[in-house]
Amino acid sequence: MRERIQAMERFFPDVPADVTIDLEPGLSHCDAEWLTPQAGPTERMVLHFPGGAFMTRFVRAERLLLARLCRAANARGRLVFYRLAPEHPYPAGLEDCLEAYRQLLSGGTPPEHILISGMSAGGCLALSALMAARDEGLPMPAGAVLMSPAADMSDESEEGGSRIVNADRDAVLSLERGDDIRRLYLDGKTELASHPYVSPVLGDYSDLPPLFFQVGSTEVLLDDSRRCAERARSAGVRAEVEVWDRMPHGWQALSFAPESGRAIGRLADFVRECCP
Amino acid sequence: MTAAARNTRLDPGSAFMRNLRLDHAGLSRVLREIDTQVGQLAREPERARTVLIEALDYLLYYHHSYHHPREDRMFARIRARDSGLDETLQGLTHEHETGERQTGELAAELAALSHRQLRGQRGRRLADQINGYVRHTRIHMRNEEAVFYRRAERVLEPDDWRDIVAADDGSRDPMTDLALMRDRYPHLAEHLGLPVKQLGLVERTQPVSEELRLQMLALTDLYGGLIHEALELARGNVDQLLGVRSPSALVRAVGEISSNNLRFAGQCLTRPPRWAINGGAALVVACLKPYLKTSQSGDA
Repeated sequence: MRERIQAMERFFPDVPADVTIDLEPGLSHCDAEWLTPQAGPTERMVLHFPGGAFMTRFVRAERLLLARLCRAANARGRLVFYRLAPEHPYPAGLEDCLEAYRQLLSGGTPPEHILISGMSAGGCLALSALMAARDEGLPMPAGAVLMSPAADMSDESEEGGSRIVNADRDAVLSLERGDDIRRLYLDGKTELASHPYVSPVLGDYSDLPPLFFQVGSTEVLLDDSRRCAERARSAGVRAEVEVWDRMPHGWQALSFAPESGRAIGRLADFVRECCP
Repeated sequence: MTAAARNTRLDPGSAFMRNLRLDHAGLSRVLREIDTQVGQLAREPERARTVLIEALDYLLYYHHSYHHPREDRMFARIRARDSGLDETLQGLTHEHETGERQTGELAAELAALSHRQLRGQRGRRLADQINGYVRHTRIHMRNEEAVFYRRAERVLEPDDWRDIVAADDGSRDPMTDLALMRDRYPHLAEHLGLPVKQLGLVERTQPVSEELRLQMLALTDLYGGLIHEALELARGNVDQLLGVRSPSALVRAVGEISSNNLRFAGQCLTRPPRWAINGGAALVVACLKPYLKTSQSGDA
Protein backbone atom coordinates (compact mmCIF):
# COMPACT_ATOMS: atom_id res chain seq x y z
CA MET A 1 0.00 0.00 0.00
CA ARG A 2 2.81 2.40 0.91
CA GLU A 3 4.51 1.77 -2.45
CA ARG A 4 1.31 2.50 -4.33
CA ILE A 5 0.85 5.74 -2.40
CA GLN A 6 4.45 6.74 -3.07
CA ALA A 7 3.81 6.24 -6.78
CA MET A 8 0.68 8.42 -6.61
CA GLU A 9 2.61 11.13 -4.78
CA ARG A 10 4.36 12.07 -8.02
CA PHE A 11 1.19 13.86 -9.06
CA PHE A 12 1.39 16.35 -6.19
CA PRO A 13 3.52 19.43 -6.80
CA ASP A 14 6.39 20.45 -4.54
CA VAL A 15 6.02 22.95 -1.78
CA PRO A 16 6.25 26.50 -3.24
CA ALA A 17 9.76 27.95 -3.27
CA ASP A 18 8.79 30.72 -0.87
CA VAL A 19 8.25 28.20 1.93
CA THR A 20 11.40 26.96 3.66
CA ILE A 21 11.60 23.59 5.39
CA ASP A 22 13.79 22.87 8.41
CA LEU A 23 14.24 19.59 10.24
CA GLU A 24 15.80 20.73 13.51
CA PRO A 25 14.96 20.53 16.31
CA GLY A 26 13.42 17.12 15.74
CA LEU A 27 11.38 14.70 17.81
CA SER A 28 12.57 11.60 19.71
CA HIS A 29 10.99 8.85 17.65
CA CYS A 30 9.88 10.29 14.33
CA ASP A 31 10.65 12.85 11.65
CA ALA A 32 9.04 16.24 11.71
CA GLU A 33 9.38 19.41 9.66
CA TRP A 34 9.15 23.13 10.34
CA LEU A 35 7.54 25.05 7.49
CA THR A 36 8.09 28.80 7.28
CA PRO A 37 6.57 30.96 4.54
CA GLN A 38 9.00 33.70 3.56
CA ALA A 39 6.30 36.35 3.37
CA GLY A 40 6.64 37.22 7.04
CA PRO A 41 4.87 34.71 9.23
CA THR A 42 3.35 35.96 12.48
CA GLU A 43 3.62 34.18 15.81
CA ARG A 44 0.90 31.69 14.84
CA MET A 45 1.90 28.05 14.68
CA VAL A 46 -0.10 25.30 12.98
CA LEU A 47 0.77 21.87 14.34
CA HIS A 48 -0.39 19.42 11.69
CA PHE A 49 -0.89 15.66 11.85
CA PRO A 50 -1.21 14.01 8.40
CA GLY A 51 -3.73 11.34 7.46
CA GLY A 52 -3.25 7.89 5.95
CA ALA A 53 -5.26 5.35 7.96
CA PHE A 54 -2.57 5.31 10.70
CA MET A 55 -0.45 3.15 8.39
CA THR A 56 0.77 5.32 5.56
CA ARG A 57 0.87 8.93 4.44
CA PHE A 58 0.95 11.27 1.45
CA VAL A 59 4.05 13.22 2.43
CA ARG A 60 4.11 15.66 -0.49
CA ALA A 61 0.38 16.24 -0.45
CA GLU A 62 0.26 16.95 3.29
CA ARG A 63 3.34 19.16 3.11
CA LEU A 64 1.77 21.20 0.32
CA LEU A 65 -1.53 21.40 2.19
CA LEU A 66 0.18 22.72 5.31
CA ALA A 67 2.32 25.16 3.31
CA ARG A 68 -0.79 26.58 1.66
CA LEU A 69 -2.59 26.87 4.97
CA CYS A 70 0.40 28.57 6.58
CA ARG A 71 0.70 31.04 3.73
CA ALA A 72 -3.00 31.88 3.93
CA ALA A 73 -2.94 32.25 7.71
CA ASN A 74 0.47 33.94 8.07
CA ALA A 75 1.57 31.07 10.27
CA ARG A 76 4.52 28.76 10.68
CA GLY A 77 3.80 25.06 10.35
CA ARG A 78 4.96 21.95 12.19
CA LEU A 79 4.38 18.74 10.26
CA VAL A 80 4.66 15.61 12.39
CA PHE A 81 5.38 12.29 10.70
CA TYR A 82 4.21 10.28 13.69
CA ARG A 83 5.13 6.60 13.86
CA LEU A 84 2.90 4.33 11.81
CA ALA A 85 1.21 1.00 12.43
CA PRO A 86 1.61 -1.91 12.12
CA GLU A 87 5.30 -1.50 13.06
CA HIS A 88 4.36 1.00 15.75
CA PRO A 89 0.80 0.42 16.91
CA TYR A 90 -1.25 2.64 19.22
CA PRO A 91 -0.26 4.61 21.30
CA ALA A 92 3.06 5.31 19.51
CA GLY A 93 1.56 7.80 17.02
CA LEU A 94 -0.36 9.65 19.71
CA GLU A 95 2.76 9.88 21.88
CA ASP A 96 4.65 11.49 18.98
CA CYS A 97 1.87 14.02 18.45
CA LEU A 98 1.84 14.89 22.14
CA GLU A 99 5.62 15.20 22.18
CA ALA A 100 5.41 17.66 19.29
CA TYR A 101 2.89 19.76 21.23
CA ARG A 102 5.00 19.67 24.40
CA GLN A 103 8.04 20.64 22.33
CA LEU A 104 6.27 23.76 21.06
CA LEU A 105 5.27 24.75 24.59
CA SER A 106 8.72 24.12 26.06
CA GLY A 107 10.27 25.99 23.13
CA GLY A 108 8.42 29.10 24.22
CA THR A 109 5.45 29.13 21.82
CA PRO A 110 2.50 30.39 23.86
CA PRO A 111 -0.44 27.95 23.69
CA GLU A 112 -2.73 30.73 22.47
CA HIS A 113 -0.60 30.96 19.34
CA ILE A 114 -0.84 27.25 18.55
CA LEU A 115 -3.52 25.73 16.40
CA ILE A 116 -3.73 21.98 15.99
CA SER A 117 -4.71 20.57 12.63
CA GLY A 118 -5.32 17.06 11.35
CA MET A 119 -6.53 15.27 8.27
CA SER A 120 -8.43 11.95 8.46
CA ALA A 121 -6.46 9.67 10.81
CA GLY A 122 -4.45 12.78 11.70
CA GLY A 123 -7.75 14.44 12.64
CA CYS A 124 -8.39 11.55 15.02
CA LEU A 125 -4.94 12.04 16.52
CA ALA A 126 -5.52 15.80 16.77
CA LEU A 127 -8.65 15.25 18.86
CA SER A 128 -6.97 12.53 20.92
CA ALA A 129 -3.92 14.72 21.52
CA LEU A 130 -6.17 17.56 22.73
CA MET A 131 -7.92 15.24 25.18
CA ALA A 132 -4.65 13.68 26.34
CA ALA A 133 -3.02 17.11 26.75
CA ARG A 134 -5.96 18.33 28.80
CA ASP A 135 -5.87 15.18 30.94
CA GLU A 136 -2.14 15.77 31.52
CA GLY A 137 -2.87 19.29 32.65
CA LEU A 138 -1.16 20.97 29.70
CA PRO A 139 -2.53 24.33 28.58
CA MET A 140 -4.91 24.12 25.63
CA PRO A 141 -4.01 25.53 22.22
CA ALA A 142 -6.10 28.27 20.61
CA GLY A 143 -8.17 25.92 18.48
CA ALA A 144 -8.18 22.93 16.18
CA VAL A 145 -9.12 22.31 12.56
CA LEU A 146 -10.23 18.80 11.72
CA MET A 147 -10.47 17.71 8.11
CA SER A 148 -12.73 14.65 7.90
CA PRO A 149 -11.38 13.09 11.08
CA ALA A 150 -11.68 9.30 11.37
CA ALA A 151 -12.87 9.63 14.93
CA ASP A 152 -14.71 6.38 15.52
CA MET A 153 -12.64 3.21 15.52
CA SER A 154 -15.37 1.39 17.41
CA ASP A 155 -17.29 1.48 14.11
CA GLU A 156 -20.75 1.29 15.58
CA SER A 157 -22.46 1.83 12.22
CA GLU A 158 -26.00 2.97 12.78
CA GLU A 159 -28.90 2.37 10.46
CA GLY A 160 -29.09 5.45 8.24
CA GLY A 161 -25.64 6.63 9.36
CA SER A 162 -23.09 7.93 6.87
CA ARG A 163 -20.96 4.79 7.11
CA ILE A 164 -23.85 2.86 5.58
CA VAL A 165 -25.65 5.50 3.50
CA ASN A 166 -22.45 6.81 1.93
CA ALA A 167 -20.77 3.43 1.51
CA ASP A 168 -21.46 3.47 -2.24
CA ARG A 169 -21.00 7.23 -2.67
CA ASP A 170 -17.60 7.72 -1.08
CA ALA A 171 -15.08 7.91 -3.89
CA VAL A 172 -12.02 7.51 -1.66
CA LEU A 173 -12.65 5.49 1.48
CA SER A 174 -14.08 2.05 1.89
CA LEU A 175 -14.87 0.70 5.31
CA GLU A 176 -14.39 -2.86 4.08
CA ARG A 177 -10.82 -2.38 5.27
CA GLY A 178 -12.00 -0.97 8.60
CA ASP A 179 -11.46 -4.20 10.52
CA ASP A 180 -7.93 -4.62 9.15
CA ILE A 181 -7.01 -1.03 9.99
CA ARG A 182 -8.42 -1.35 13.49
CA ARG A 183 -6.61 -4.64 14.09
CA LEU A 184 -3.27 -3.35 12.83
CA TYR A 185 -3.49 0.05 14.52
CA LEU A 186 -4.43 -1.52 17.84
CA ASP A 187 -2.06 -4.48 17.45
CA GLY A 188 -4.96 -6.87 17.77
CA LYS A 189 -6.22 -5.32 21.03
CA THR A 190 -9.55 -4.36 19.51
CA GLU A 191 -11.09 -3.86 22.95
CA LEU A 192 -9.17 -0.54 22.94
CA ALA A 193 -11.37 0.69 20.09
CA SER A 194 -13.80 2.29 22.53
CA HIS A 195 -11.05 4.16 24.40
CA PRO A 196 -11.58 7.92 23.91
CA TYR A 197 -8.01 8.42 22.70
CA VAL A 198 -8.64 5.83 19.98
CA SER A 199 -12.23 6.84 19.20
CA PRO A 200 -12.46 10.49 20.23
CA VAL A 201 -16.07 10.52 19.15
CA LEU A 202 -16.69 8.79 22.48
CA GLY A 203 -14.50 11.17 24.50
CA ASP A 204 -15.04 14.02 26.92
CA TYR A 205 -14.82 17.41 25.20
CA SER A 206 -15.01 19.65 28.24
CA ASP A 207 -12.41 22.44 28.31
CA LEU A 208 -11.25 21.80 24.76
CA PRO A 209 -10.61 24.86 22.56
CA PRO A 210 -12.87 25.84 19.60
CA LEU A 211 -13.10 23.11 16.96
CA PHE A 212 -13.66 23.53 13.25
CA PHE A 213 -14.61 20.51 11.12
CA GLN A 214 -14.69 20.25 7.34
CA VAL A 215 -16.16 17.13 5.75
CA GLY A 216 -17.71 16.08 2.41
CA SER A 217 -21.41 15.24 2.23
CA THR A 218 -20.75 11.89 0.56
CA GLU A 219 -18.00 10.71 2.88
CA VAL A 220 -18.43 7.63 5.02
CA LEU A 221 -16.80 9.67 7.79
CA LEU A 222 -19.43 12.44 7.64
CA ASP A 223 -21.05 11.35 10.91
CA ASP A 224 -17.72 11.25 12.75
CA SER A 225 -17.43 15.03 12.38
CA ARG A 226 -21.07 15.64 13.20
CA ARG A 227 -21.01 13.45 16.28
CA CYS A 228 -17.76 14.91 17.61
CA ALA A 229 -19.08 18.44 17.12
CA GLU A 230 -22.40 17.63 18.82
CA ARG A 231 -20.58 16.11 21.76
CA ALA A 232 -18.26 19.09 21.96
CA ARG A 233 -21.13 21.55 21.88
CA SER A 234 -22.96 19.70 24.60
CA ALA A 235 -19.78 20.05 26.69
CA GLY A 236 -19.87 23.81 26.12
CA VAL A 237 -17.16 23.89 23.46
CA ARG A 238 -17.60 25.99 20.32
CA ALA A 239 -17.65 23.50 17.46
CA GLU A 240 -18.54 24.26 13.87
CA VAL A 241 -19.05 21.75 11.06
CA GLU A 242 -18.86 22.59 7.38
CA VAL A 243 -20.48 19.96 5.18
CA TRP A 244 -19.17 20.37 1.63
CA ASP A 245 -21.45 19.17 -1.12
CA ARG A 246 -20.08 15.95 -2.71
CA MET A 247 -16.44 16.73 -2.00
CA PRO A 248 -14.23 13.64 -1.73
CA HIS A 249 -12.21 12.73 1.35
CA GLY A 250 -9.10 14.90 1.56
CA TRP A 251 -10.15 17.40 -1.13
CA GLN A 252 -8.37 20.18 0.76
CA ALA A 253 -5.08 18.63 -0.39
CA LEU A 254 -6.07 18.60 -4.08
CA SER A 255 -4.49 21.93 -4.92
CA PHE A 256 -5.83 21.96 -8.49
CA ALA A 257 -9.48 21.98 -7.34
CA PRO A 258 -11.06 25.41 -6.75
CA GLU A 259 -12.89 23.99 -3.73
CA SER A 260 -9.52 23.17 -2.19
CA GLY A 261 -8.47 26.83 -2.33
CA ARG A 262 -11.81 27.91 -0.95
CA ALA A 263 -11.56 25.38 1.90
CA ILE A 264 -8.04 26.51 2.78
CA GLY A 265 -9.15 30.15 2.75
CA ARG A 266 -11.88 29.29 5.24
CA LEU A 267 -9.53 27.26 7.42
CA ALA A 268 -7.15 30.23 7.47
CA ASP A 269 -10.02 32.52 8.48
CA PHE A 270 -10.69 30.21 11.42
CA VAL A 271 -6.98 30.16 12.36
CA ARG A 272 -6.97 33.97 12.38
CA GLU A 273 -10.17 34.04 14.45
CA CYS A 274 -8.65 31.78 17.11
CA CYS A 275 -5.13 33.25 17.08
CA PRO A 276 -5.54 36.99 16.54
CA MET B 1 -9.58 36.40 30.64
CA THR B 2 -11.32 38.95 28.40
CA ALA B 3 -9.47 40.95 25.78
CA ALA B 4 -10.18 44.13 27.74
CA ALA B 5 -8.75 42.66 30.93
CA ARG B 6 -5.70 41.41 29.06
CA ASN B 7 -5.17 44.81 27.47
CA THR B 8 -5.08 46.57 30.84
CA ARG B 9 -1.77 44.81 31.51
CA LEU B 10 -0.22 45.78 28.19
CA ASP B 11 1.55 49.01 27.36
CA PRO B 12 -0.49 51.35 25.10
CA GLY B 13 1.29 50.26 21.92
CA SER B 14 0.86 46.55 22.57
CA ALA B 15 -2.77 47.03 23.57
CA PHE B 16 -3.40 49.03 20.40
CA MET B 17 -1.79 46.34 18.23
CA ARG B 18 -3.70 43.62 20.02
CA ASN B 19 -6.97 45.38 19.26
CA LEU B 20 -6.04 45.69 15.59
CA ARG B 21 -5.39 41.94 15.50
CA LEU B 22 -8.67 41.23 17.28
CA ASP B 23 -10.39 43.33 14.60
CA HIS B 24 -8.85 41.05 11.97
CA ALA B 25 -10.15 38.01 13.87
CA GLY B 26 -13.68 39.43 13.76
CA LEU B 27 -13.25 40.41 10.12
CA SER B 28 -12.10 36.87 9.26
CA ARG B 29 -15.23 35.40 10.77
CA VAL B 30 -17.44 37.76 8.80
CA LEU B 31 -15.51 37.12 5.56
CA ARG B 32 -16.14 33.41 6.06
CA GLU B 33 -19.84 34.12 6.41
CA ILE B 34 -19.83 36.31 3.28
CA ASP B 35 -18.15 33.44 1.41
CA THR B 36 -20.87 31.06 2.66
CA GLN B 37 -23.72 33.36 1.68
CA VAL B 38 -22.37 34.18 -1.79
CA GLY B 39 -22.53 30.46 -2.49
CA GLN B 40 -26.24 30.52 -1.56
CA LEU B 41 -27.14 33.64 -3.50
CA ALA B 42 -28.57 31.88 -6.54
CA ARG B 43 -30.36 29.22 -4.50
CA GLU B 44 -31.83 31.31 -1.71
CA PRO B 45 -31.52 34.91 -2.90
CA GLU B 46 -33.60 36.65 -0.25
CA ARG B 47 -32.03 35.00 2.76
CA ALA B 48 -28.48 35.27 1.43
CA ARG B 49 -29.00 38.88 0.36
CA THR B 50 -30.26 39.91 3.81
CA VAL B 51 -27.21 38.40 5.53
CA LEU B 52 -24.80 39.80 2.94
CA ILE B 53 -26.18 43.33 3.21
CA GLU B 54 -25.82 43.19 6.99
CA ALA B 55 -22.28 41.84 6.66
CA LEU B 56 -21.28 44.61 4.24
CA ASP B 57 -22.98 47.16 6.49
CA TYR B 58 -20.92 45.85 9.43
CA LEU B 59 -17.75 46.26 7.36
CA LEU B 60 -18.72 49.80 6.40
CA TYR B 61 -19.73 50.70 9.94
CA TYR B 62 -16.76 49.32 11.86
CA HIS B 63 -13.88 48.35 9.61
CA HIS B 64 -14.06 51.25 7.19
CA SER B 65 -15.08 53.84 9.77
CA TYR B 66 -12.86 52.92 12.72
CA HIS B 67 -10.39 50.12 12.02
CA HIS B 68 -8.89 51.49 8.80
CA PRO B 69 -8.53 55.10 10.07
CA ARG B 70 -6.62 53.65 13.05
CA GLU B 71 -4.33 51.75 10.71
CA ASP B 72 -3.90 54.82 8.52
CA ARG B 73 -2.77 56.87 11.51
CA MET B 74 -0.31 54.15 12.40
CA PHE B 75 0.95 53.88 8.80
CA ALA B 76 1.53 57.64 8.73
CA ARG B 77 3.76 57.28 11.80
CA ILE B 78 5.67 54.39 10.26
CA ARG B 79 6.26 56.49 7.12
CA ALA B 80 7.62 59.28 9.27
CA ARG B 81 10.10 56.86 10.84
CA ASP B 82 10.91 54.71 7.82
CA SER B 83 10.58 56.44 4.46
CA GLY B 84 11.60 53.27 2.62
CA LEU B 85 8.04 52.03 2.95
CA ASP B 86 6.42 55.19 1.61
CA GLU B 87 5.07 53.72 -1.57
CA THR B 88 3.68 50.49 -0.14
CA LEU B 89 2.07 52.21 2.84
CA GLN B 90 0.50 54.73 0.51
CA GLY B 91 -0.79 51.77 -1.48
CA LEU B 92 -2.42 50.26 1.59
CA THR B 93 -4.09 53.54 2.51
CA HIS B 94 -5.35 53.76 -1.07
CA GLU B 95 -6.74 50.23 -0.76
CA HIS B 96 -8.66 51.32 2.34
CA GLU B 97 -10.30 54.08 0.34
CA THR B 98 -11.16 51.95 -2.68
CA GLY B 99 -12.32 49.13 -0.38
CA GLU B 100 -14.80 51.41 1.31
CA ARG B 101 -16.19 52.59 -2.01
CA GLN B 102 -16.41 49.03 -3.30
CA THR B 103 -18.19 47.79 -0.16
CA GLY B 104 -20.85 50.48 -0.57
CA GLU B 105 -21.28 49.70 -4.26
CA LEU B 106 -21.65 45.97 -3.64
CA ALA B 107 -24.25 46.57 -0.92
CA ALA B 108 -26.20 48.93 -3.19
CA GLU B 109 -26.19 46.50 -6.10
CA LEU B 110 -27.26 43.63 -3.86
CA ALA B 111 -30.20 45.66 -2.62
CA ALA B 112 -31.21 46.73 -6.12
CA LEU B 113 -31.36 43.34 -7.87
CA SER B 114 -34.56 41.28 -7.99
CA HIS B 115 -34.60 37.59 -7.07
CA ARG B 116 -34.67 36.69 -10.70
CA GLN B 117 -31.66 38.87 -11.44
CA LEU B 118 -29.81 37.42 -8.47
CA ARG B 119 -30.38 33.93 -9.88
CA GLY B 120 -29.28 34.95 -13.36
CA GLN B 121 -26.25 36.39 -15.08
CA ARG B 122 -26.19 39.64 -13.11
CA GLY B 123 -26.33 37.66 -9.88
CA ARG B 124 -23.42 35.54 -11.05
CA ARG B 125 -21.42 38.61 -11.95
CA LEU B 126 -22.17 40.16 -8.58
CA ALA B 127 -21.21 36.91 -6.81
CA ASP B 128 -17.89 36.95 -8.68
CA GLN B 129 -17.31 40.54 -7.59
CA ILE B 130 -18.05 39.71 -3.96
CA ASN B 131 -15.77 36.66 -4.13
CA GLY B 132 -13.03 38.90 -5.54
CA TYR B 133 -13.67 41.38 -2.73
CA VAL B 134 -13.30 38.63 -0.10
CA ARG B 135 -10.12 37.34 -1.74
CA HIS B 136 -8.64 40.80 -1.95
CA THR B 137 -9.56 41.63 1.65
CA ARG B 138 -7.86 38.46 2.88
CA ILE B 139 -4.66 39.28 0.99
CA HIS B 140 -4.76 42.88 2.21
CA MET B 141 -5.15 41.68 5.81
CA ARG B 142 -2.30 39.18 5.37
CA ASN B 143 0.05 41.86 4.06
CA GLU B 144 -0.79 44.20 6.91
CA GLU B 145 -0.19 41.52 9.53
CA ALA B 146 2.92 40.03 8.05
CA VAL B 147 4.78 43.19 7.17
CA PHE B 148 3.35 46.40 8.56
CA TYR B 149 2.09 45.37 11.97
CA ARG B 150 5.50 43.89 12.72
CA ARG B 151 7.24 46.93 11.31
CA ALA B 152 5.10 49.18 13.54
CA GLU B 153 6.08 47.19 16.60
CA ARG B 154 9.74 47.53 15.64
CA VAL B 155 10.09 51.14 14.55
CA LEU B 156 7.51 53.15 16.48
CA GLU B 157 8.62 54.92 19.66
CA PRO B 158 6.61 55.47 22.86
CA ASP B 159 5.82 59.01 21.68
CA ASP B 160 4.31 57.66 18.49
CA TRP B 161 2.14 55.24 20.38
CA ARG B 162 1.03 57.92 22.81
CA ASP B 163 -0.15 60.11 19.92
CA ILE B 164 -1.78 57.20 18.08
CA VAL B 165 -3.69 56.14 21.19
CA ALA B 166 -4.62 59.74 22.06
CA ALA B 167 -6.19 60.20 18.62
CA ASP B 168 -8.28 57.08 19.09
CA ASP B 169 -11.93 57.38 20.07
CA GLY B 170 -11.94 53.93 21.68
CA SER B 171 -14.73 52.46 19.52
CA ARG B 172 -14.82 48.69 19.84
CA ASP B 173 -15.66 46.06 17.27
CA PRO B 174 -19.30 44.99 17.71
CA MET B 175 -18.10 41.43 17.02
CA THR B 176 -16.73 41.38 20.56
CA ASP B 177 -20.25 41.88 21.91
CA LEU B 178 -22.71 39.27 20.63
CA ALA B 179 -25.71 41.03 22.18
CA LEU B 180 -24.82 44.17 20.24
CA MET B 181 -24.34 42.12 17.07
CA ARG B 182 -27.77 40.53 17.52
CA ASP B 183 -29.28 43.92 18.05
CA ARG B 184 -27.67 45.59 15.06
CA TYR B 185 -27.20 42.72 12.62
CA PRO B 186 -29.75 40.06 13.65
CA HIS B 187 -29.54 37.94 10.49
CA LEU B 188 -25.77 38.03 10.31
CA ALA B 189 -25.49 37.19 14.03
CA GLU B 190 -27.88 34.27 13.61
CA HIS B 191 -25.82 32.82 10.78
CA LEU B 192 -22.51 33.40 12.53
CA GLY B 193 -23.82 31.24 15.36
CA LEU B 194 -25.00 28.33 13.23
CA PRO B 195 -23.16 25.16 14.25
CA VAL B 196 -23.49 23.39 10.90
CA LYS B 197 -23.01 24.99 7.50
CA GLN B 198 -23.70 23.48 4.11
CA LEU B 199 -21.28 24.50 1.38
CA GLY B 200 -21.91 23.79 -2.25
CA LEU B 201 -19.88 23.35 -5.34
CA VAL B 202 -19.91 26.19 -7.82
CA GLU B 203 -23.56 27.19 -8.12
CA ARG B 204 -25.40 25.81 -11.11
CA THR B 205 -27.11 28.91 -12.36
CA GLN B 206 -27.10 27.65 -15.95
CA PRO B 207 -29.25 24.62 -15.39
CA VAL B 208 -29.71 23.35 -18.94
CA SER B 209 -26.10 23.51 -20.06
CA GLU B 210 -24.96 22.22 -16.68
CA GLU B 211 -27.42 19.35 -16.79
CA LEU B 212 -26.27 18.56 -20.31
CA ARG B 213 -22.68 18.50 -19.09
CA LEU B 214 -23.65 16.22 -16.19
CA GLN B 215 -25.48 13.86 -18.52
CA MET B 216 -22.48 13.71 -20.83
CA LEU B 217 -20.33 12.87 -17.83
CA ALA B 218 -22.82 10.17 -16.87
CA LEU B 219 -22.61 8.78 -20.40
CA THR B 220 -18.81 8.74 -20.19
CA ASP B 221 -19.11 6.96 -16.86
CA LEU B 222 -21.52 4.48 -18.35
CA TYR B 223 -19.27 3.49 -21.23
CA GLY B 224 -16.17 3.64 -19.05
CA GLY B 225 -17.90 1.27 -16.65
CA LEU B 226 -18.90 -1.10 -19.43
CA ILE B 227 -15.36 -1.17 -20.83
CA HIS B 228 -14.00 -1.86 -17.34
CA GLU B 229 -16.51 -4.68 -16.87
CA ALA B 230 -15.63 -6.12 -20.30
CA LEU B 231 -11.94 -6.22 -19.36
CA GLU B 232 -12.75 -7.82 -16.01
CA LEU B 233 -14.97 -10.34 -17.77
CA ALA B 234 -12.24 -11.21 -20.28
CA ARG B 235 -9.73 -11.62 -17.46
CA GLY B 236 -12.18 -13.83 -15.54
CA ASN B 237 -12.79 -15.94 -18.67
CA VAL B 238 -9.06 -16.45 -19.20
CA ASP B 239 -8.62 -17.38 -15.52
CA GLN B 240 -11.48 -19.87 -15.80
CA LEU B 241 -9.93 -21.48 -18.86
CA LEU B 242 -6.46 -21.56 -17.33
CA GLY B 243 -7.90 -23.31 -14.29
CA VAL B 244 -9.26 -26.20 -16.39
CA ARG B 245 -7.66 -29.51 -15.43
CA SER B 246 -10.14 -32.04 -16.74
CA PRO B 247 -12.83 -32.46 -19.46
CA SER B 248 -15.62 -32.03 -16.92
CA ALA B 249 -14.01 -28.82 -15.60
CA LEU B 250 -13.84 -27.58 -19.19
CA VAL B 251 -17.58 -28.13 -19.63
CA ARG B 252 -18.29 -26.32 -16.34
CA ALA B 253 -16.01 -23.43 -17.30
CA VAL B 254 -17.60 -23.03 -20.75
CA GLY B 255 -21.05 -23.00 -19.13
CA GLU B 256 -20.06 -20.29 -16.62
CA ILE B 257 -18.27 -18.23 -19.25
CA SER B 258 -21.33 -18.37 -21.51
CA SER B 259 -23.71 -17.26 -18.80
CA ASN B 260 -21.37 -14.45 -17.63
CA ASN B 261 -21.02 -13.23 -21.22
CA LEU B 262 -24.76 -13.33 -21.68
CA ARG B 263 -25.34 -11.30 -18.53
CA PHE B 264 -22.80 -8.71 -19.71
CA ALA B 265 -24.44 -8.53 -23.15
CA GLY B 266 -27.74 -7.88 -21.37
CA GLN B 267 -26.17 -4.96 -19.46
CA CYS B 268 -24.80 -3.53 -22.72
CA LEU B 269 -28.30 -3.60 -24.19
CA THR B 270 -30.23 -2.21 -21.22
CA ARG B 271 -27.96 0.42 -19.65
CA PRO B 272 -27.68 2.93 -22.54
CA PRO B 273 -31.49 3.16 -23.07
CA ARG B 274 -31.88 3.56 -19.28
CA TRP B 275 -29.38 6.46 -19.43
CA ALA B 276 -31.24 7.98 -22.38
CA ILE B 277 -34.58 7.91 -20.53
CA ASN B 278 -33.15 9.28 -17.25
CA GLY B 279 -30.97 11.85 -18.99
CA GLY B 280 -33.79 13.03 -21.20
CA ALA B 281 -36.08 13.45 -18.20
CA ALA B 282 -33.40 15.38 -16.29
CA LEU B 283 -32.92 17.74 -19.24
CA VAL B 284 -36.64 18.38 -19.54
CA VAL B 285 -36.79 19.21 -15.81
CA ALA B 286 -33.76 21.49 -16.17
CA CYS B 287 -35.46 23.33 -19.05
CA LEU B 288 -38.61 23.83 -16.97
CA LYS B 289 -36.80 24.90 -13.80
CA PRO B 290 -36.47 28.64 -14.52
CA TYR B 291 -40.21 28.90 -15.17
CA LEU B 292 -41.03 26.93 -12.01
CA LYS B 293 -38.73 29.17 -9.95
CA THR B 294 -40.28 32.33 -11.42
CA SER B 295 -43.81 31.26 -10.61
CA GLN B 296 -42.81 30.09 -7.09
CA SER B 297 -40.98 33.24 -6.12
CA GLY B 298 -43.57 35.57 -7.61
CA ASP B 299 -40.75 37.85 -8.65
CA ALA B 300 -41.12 38.05 -12.39
